[in-house]
Amino acid sequence: MEDSHSSLFNLRILDTLTDDQLHEILDSYDAFCNTTQSLLGGAGDLSYGAQFVSHVHTLCKHGLQSLVLDHFLKVLEETFERNGASRFWRHFDPYADFVGLNKNDDINIDEDEIESVLYNALEEISIEKQYQEKCLLILVHALQSFKDQMSEERHNFEAERNYLTSKYQWIVSSVLMTTLPRVFPVILHWYFKRRLEELSTMVDVEFTDDVSPNKDGMDLDEKGKVCNKDGEMDVDECYSDRRFSENSRLVKNIGKVVLDLRSLGFTSMADDAYASAIFLLLKAKVYNVAGDDFRSSVLQSIQSWIQAVPLQFLHALLVYLGDSVSYESTSSGFKSPLAPQPSSFCPGIDTPSEGLVRWKLRLEYFAYETLQDLRIAKLFEIIVDYPESSPAIEDLKLCLEYTGQHSKLVESFISALRYRLLTAGASTNDILHQYVSTIKALRTIDPAGVFLEAVGEPIRDYLKGRRDTIKCIVTMLTDGTGGNSSASGNPGDSLLEELNRDEEIQENIGIDDDFNTDDRQAWLNATRWQPDPVEADPLKGSRNQRKVDILGMIVGIIGSKDQLVHEYRTMLAEKLLNKSDYDIDSEIRTLELLKIHFGESSLQKCEIMLNDLIGSKRVNTNIKATISQPSQTSVEVEDNAISMDKIAATIISSNFWPPIQDEPLNLPEPVNQLLSDYSKRFGEIKTPRKLQWKKSLGTVKLELQFEDRVVQFTVAPVLASIIMKFQDQTSWSSKNLAAAIGIPVDVLNRRIHFWISKGIIAESPGGDSSDHVYTIMENMAETSKNGGGSGNTQELLGGDEEEDRSVASVENQLRKEMTVYEKFILGMLTNFGSMALDRMHNMLKMFCIADPPYDKSLQQLQSFLSGLVSEEKLELRDGVYFLKK
Amino acid sequence: MKVKIIQWHAVASWTWDAQDETCGICRMAFDGCCPDCKLPGDDCPLIWGACNHAFHLHCILKWVNSQTSQAHCPMCRREWQFKG
Repeated sequence: MEDSHSSLFNLRILDTLTDDQLHEILDSYDAFCNTTQSLLGGAGDLSYGAQFVSHVHTLCKHGLQSLVLDHFLKVLEETFERNGASRFWRHFDPYADFVGLNKNDDINIDEDEIESVLYNALEEISIEKQYQEKCLLILVHALQSFKDQMSEERHNFEAERNYLTSKYQWIVSSVLMTTLPRVFPVILHWYFKRRLEELSTMVDVEFTDDVSPNKDGMDLDEKGKVCNKDGEMDVDECYSDRRFSENSRLVKNIGKVVLDLRSLGFTSMADDAYASAIFLLLKAKVYNVAGDDFRSSVLQSIQSWIQAVPLQFLHALLVYLGDSVSYESTSSGFKSPLAPQPSSFCPGIDTPSEGLVRWKLRLEYFAYETLQDLRIAKLFEIIVDYPESSPAIEDLKLCLEYTGQHSKLVESFISALRYRLLTAGASTNDILHQYVSTIKALRTIDPAGVFLEAVGEPIRDYLKGRRDTIKCIVTMLTDGTGGNSSASGNPGDSLLEELNRDEEIQENIGIDDDFNTDDRQAWLNATRWQPDPVEADPLKGSRNQRKVDILGMIVGIIGSKDQLVHEYRTMLAEKLLNKSDYDIDSEIRTLELLKIHFGESSLQKCEIMLNDLIGSKRVNTNIKATISQPSQTSVEVEDNAISMDKIAATIISSNFWPPIQDEPLNLPEPVNQLLSDYSKRFGEIKTPRKLQWKKSLGTVKLELQFEDRVVQFTVAPVLASIIMKFQDQTSWSSKNLAAAIGIPVDVLNRRIHFWISKGIIAESPGGDSSDHVYTIMENMAETSKNGGGSGNTQELLGGDEEEDRSVASVENQLRKEMTVYEKFILGMLTNFGSMALDRMHNMLKMFCIADPPYDKSLQQLQSFLSGLVSEEKLELRDGVYFLKK
Repeated sequence: MKVKIIQWHAVASWTWDAQDETCGICRMAFDGCCPDCKLPGDDCPLIWGACNHAFHLHCILKWVNSQTSQAHCPMCRREWQFKG
């Protein structure tokens, strides 16, 4: 080596060359070039070998070893480019059109053909390469033998050879890479995908656990194979042997392709191709298994599938490729949470190699992520059928624990909510139900409630803008059925349930506190402590305060519990006033639960209301016991017998009830008589107290006895009065009837519709255009055309309309309360010209301290003012109110 | 057609048969209850004096007991005597 080096830089050496030597060099160089050419170009013909060696020797003797090497490698490269690469690529020319294809698309060409093309091409180029390697070896041997002749000392033959081989590898891969057609990776990818699918079908047949066979992506001939195998199932032993050999044959095929590719320098491309094929397969598997069914947990089956198919395959492949270095000590460091013991890592694989463990982690992470993305995208649906879909929630929880992409969940779920739930079309009830389900579901995923905080915010903000939110919430709170039963109200959603649960929780907390005094328990609690997730908003208080409390979150929507209590009181009053018995057990229970949660004092009035009912029951029995004997005789005289024991009364402490809408009404004389007897008796029992009847309130159960039928109804007193008027007179004009009952004509016309709709009264135009004539329908035949008369059914009180309510709605109450301030507001605006909302609010707070003190919220004032604006008393411009001129 | 009433459940409100609306001592409504009570009606009754002024029983008792000598009606300053 040193000789040749010095000769390179020593130009004087040229002078020392004789003519003979020069000739010899030129001759042998020419001959060397020729033999090289023929050696490499000649297909498999090594006959020039001896000649070649002697020329090499001659040239080396003159110190031209590097020239020899350079020339040889150059010719080698040219030959490979001509013979190997271009021919290799020519195989794939027909498929050049598939470049644009997505990796996920199926290539619809003859699959066997492309497969054999790949095999052939690899085969051919491998032969070519082997031959060239042989030639290279001849050169190496020639150099070697020359050096052996020259000196006695041993040259490092190995190093020389390695140097040349690696140089050759470089040449091969660089030639291939520079001429790489774009279709080749696609073909590789497709090949691995298909082989893997084949393999997975084979394994799936064996893998008869809960994993459903992945038959979606299969084409006909694979299905045929499956069928064949099914037919052979009875011969278990030989079948499994056969299957195993087939399995390993397949793996070997793949391994060979990978090896060939690697030797051509496509290591990373091949790895990429089979990795992406595996991931694609895994993805398809996850999609297939997970699907749209949220009622079962799929993580476990995916887990076992990963172990059964891709890991087995990778294991076999890695072993075949010889990469499998046992690294047991490191494997435990890569433990995945779901495979706690590496010993049971993979059935049939004793010591997982490091590469395999890496693969396993990659695959698992990918599976988790895929499943998580799938579930997050469907989270809205999952939560809609929450109690049934809890397995999916559990899966998602595990996935999120592994991937930690909670923020993805929050973002995607919020946008789903915005798009699908928080729209004008969704009913408040549905939104609330979904909110409750969301709270419950996310409580599973994230007990600390950090993400719930983020997700719940848009819902809360939206609900705050809805007018009927409070009403719906209170209905949900008090009604076991969760609002209107027609909506998606399943009993699990009821907040009443939550009230009960809350009670239990509070009891448990009490127990916990007792335990906390115990040092051991304190220590246990301390060890269980976990830091808040990073996403936690530090402003929202620490974990303890953020304890997920559904009721708290719901009440948080309303803003204050006072508003909720107010609404509850109104609803309770409505319910109690329409009761025809004194059965209030469920109301008492609800109230007790509410008292636990909202405190006794705020519900004081509601308690008095319930107490009134209890008291009424007592008084009622008392009165009847003392009055029944004398009254019986007096009423017996009358035809339409109604005795005192038919009468019952709810006696209320009106100061504690919400404002009650009482309309004047003339009750039928016998009833009126009885009621005044009743109140007289009350006066006697409870001196010095007296009763004031709210005649339009209450319920009347009555039976209409026609010639051909009997119908029962439960109606409001005004309806009872109307129908009773028809006993003496079968036909009334609306004016006369209204006067007789003591209600305005328009009210009568509205209320009598109940009876008309039941087919009991017919309406016909009277003499006057504004007058109507109402006639009783005595026969079924007459009524049939009206479609009413539903037999003996008990009808509910005729009236859901706002005006029929016995208790003024909260809005109306507020309106009534605010009218006191109307003068004040108008006066203020006259003095100041224009005022902004909060300034008005402050003024009212400051100056209206006398009876009744101003205690309304800013929102209430605003809604009252907007009422005034719509009445055209005020004007609102740029957030400032003016007097309308 | 005949109407047979099976049950007539009426609604009434009770009120104390007093001339005034509010108790002269606690300024709460008679139909409500005195500040110490929670339930109106039987639990917090009214009482009339000989002068025909009415107060919550609890209120006037407190007043009477707080007076060292003979108690007077807080309204008319006449000597307080419970109306028989």
